[in-house]
Amino acid sequence: MIRPLAGMARIGLRFQLAYRSDVIMSVLALVAQVFLLRMVWTSLYGGQGQTRGLSLEALLAYLSLANLQAFATSPIIPRITHFRIRTGTVFFDLSRPTGYLPQMAAFQAGHTAGGLLMLAPAVPVVLLVGTITPTAHPVGYAATLALGYVISLMMSLLICVIGFWTLETGAISLLYRLVSHFFAGTMVPLSFFPGALGVLADALPFKYMGYVPAAVYVGHISGGEIGRAVAVEVAWIAALAVLLWAVWRRAHRRVVIQGG
Amino acid sequence: MIRVESLTKVFRRPRAFSGPLGPLRTLVTRRYDERTAVDGVSFEIPEGEIVGYLGPNGAGKSTTVKMLTGILTPTDGLIEVGGRVPWRDREANARAVGVVFGQRSQLWWDLPLIDSLRLVGDLYDVPAARFTGSLRRMCDLLGLDDFLHTPVRQLSLGQRMRGDLAAAMLYDPPILYLDEPTVGLDVMAKQAVREFIAETNRIGRTTVVLTTHDLADVEALCRRIILIDKGRVLFDGGIDDLVTAYAPPRRLVVELADDETRAFEIAAGSSIPELIARVSAEHTIRDLSIHEPDLESVIKRIYAESER
Repeated sequence: MIRPLAGMARIGLRFQLAYRSDVIMSVLALVAQVFLLRMVWTSLYGGQGQTRGLSLEALLAYLSLANLQAFATSPIIPRITHFRIRTGTVFFDLSRPTGYLPQMAAFQAGHTAGGLLMLAPAVPVVLLVGTITPTAHPVGYAATLALGYVISLMMSLLICVIGFWTLETGAISLLYRLVSHFFAGTMVPLSFFPGALGVLADALPFKYMGYVPAAVYVGHISGGEIGRAVAVEVAWIAALAVLLWAVWRRAHRRVVIQGG
Repeated sequence: MIRVESLTKVFRRPRAFSGPLGPLRTLVTRRYDERTAVDGVSFEIPEGEIVGYLGPNGAGKSTTVKMLTGILTPTDGLIEVGGRVPWRDREANARAVGVVFGQRSQLWWDLPLIDSLRLVGDLYDVPAARFTGSLRRMCDLLGLDDFLHTPVRQLSLGQRMRGDLAAAMLYDPPILYLDEPTVGLDVMAKQAVREFIAETNRIGRTTVVLTTHDLADVEALCRRIILIDKGRVLFDGGIDDLVTAYAPPRRLVVELADDETRAFEIAAGSSIPELIARVSAEHTIRDLSIHEPDLESVIKRIYAESER
């Protein structure tokens, strides 16, 4: 079981590295975005010490981290699945001894690892722009981030599976990207969201890909709240696993009966 | 090795309505169109045989191959590959079969060929030593060395096809399904593919099911063919038997002095010199030739008969 997945992860990694110029452009966009956000927020703060419990320094550190995370975890597999369904090459993926979803999950993990590798040179720049200092909660940060990544992975797999019905994931992927980045809090921390929007953002799982780990890092979420966040993340993973399993079973039945 | 009995596959699709509100009606009504792609097909293929599985476009060839690989479940009938029911025991079946589609590739487009081949080794858990041996053999047989490290998107169609054949055979499956493996290839590349198939079959006693529109493939590789159309078997037997049973008569083609060309059917058992004498009594013959029926004309005739 391990070797097929390692093989798929390696393909994901190579795939990422094969598109170096794409990644370099994205890294430039990332640095630019962090820089622009810094300008806007510095001006908005206008010398105030704290807003809703966040100092300007903590806010800038938060934004840099949230954007780094969102960039590093942005999914590739909906695009891959879309392409392979459209060209019919998904036949080969389905004919392997290893299941389709484990293959795609491993591919995504390898792709993310490749992204991190290429992101490495940009990290010092982003950290500098964001004036990030070491965190007081390294374990909490690592735990919320790792679980957040698993949630992001499962959501991507869900979009892949939906592709078996719609035969099209381009528009859904784009929508997902916009919605997930916004509700992950890459522009504005979720604690700044007003009323109903705040409630909605709090209820959705996207915050675990950006806001929650980054807020833990800068100390905006601390103490018992970290433990609670981890527990909710685990619950989300369990729920998504059940949903994914059920949806996949239906999708697979559709494939074996209709031939896609 | 492969046993198929009364195999049937019916596809069921929501009925599409036309007109301005058509898509909406399609969505809300529960009416379906049924299409029988494979209709009571039966055959048996013993180990080590190369069988040509032929039929016009849409005859049900690929649907049969998909059921043999376990990707599709049959609507009815029995299917057994190496003693297993493919769709029920999909994983074990997957390890026992290699598949090549001429029209689609299992190779990763943006990566060097070797990456896709290594992936196959990992996915099928081929032990390292055996993988190295297999890869070496494939490289020698298919001449892969020159482009092993070239991204697949830069390969010619012939090179890509050779890569696909290697990927399908790296884990030594006892059964190989080939769906139009020579489509679009030049003469030399076709030859290389045919030689590889013959060699694989000879050395490993690999059972091969070959789907193709190129009858030269069939003549070069198969002794037996199964002919299907509209999901039904029209003929199953040796190529020689097929030609004897269905061959249209030979034809005498003569070119006349006034540049006219005429053809005369040679009835079975009739004398050719007599026919020539009769024709030359009426016309001045400049040139003549006798046309033997080829496999293509035989198959054309069978399809035409099944249309009626």
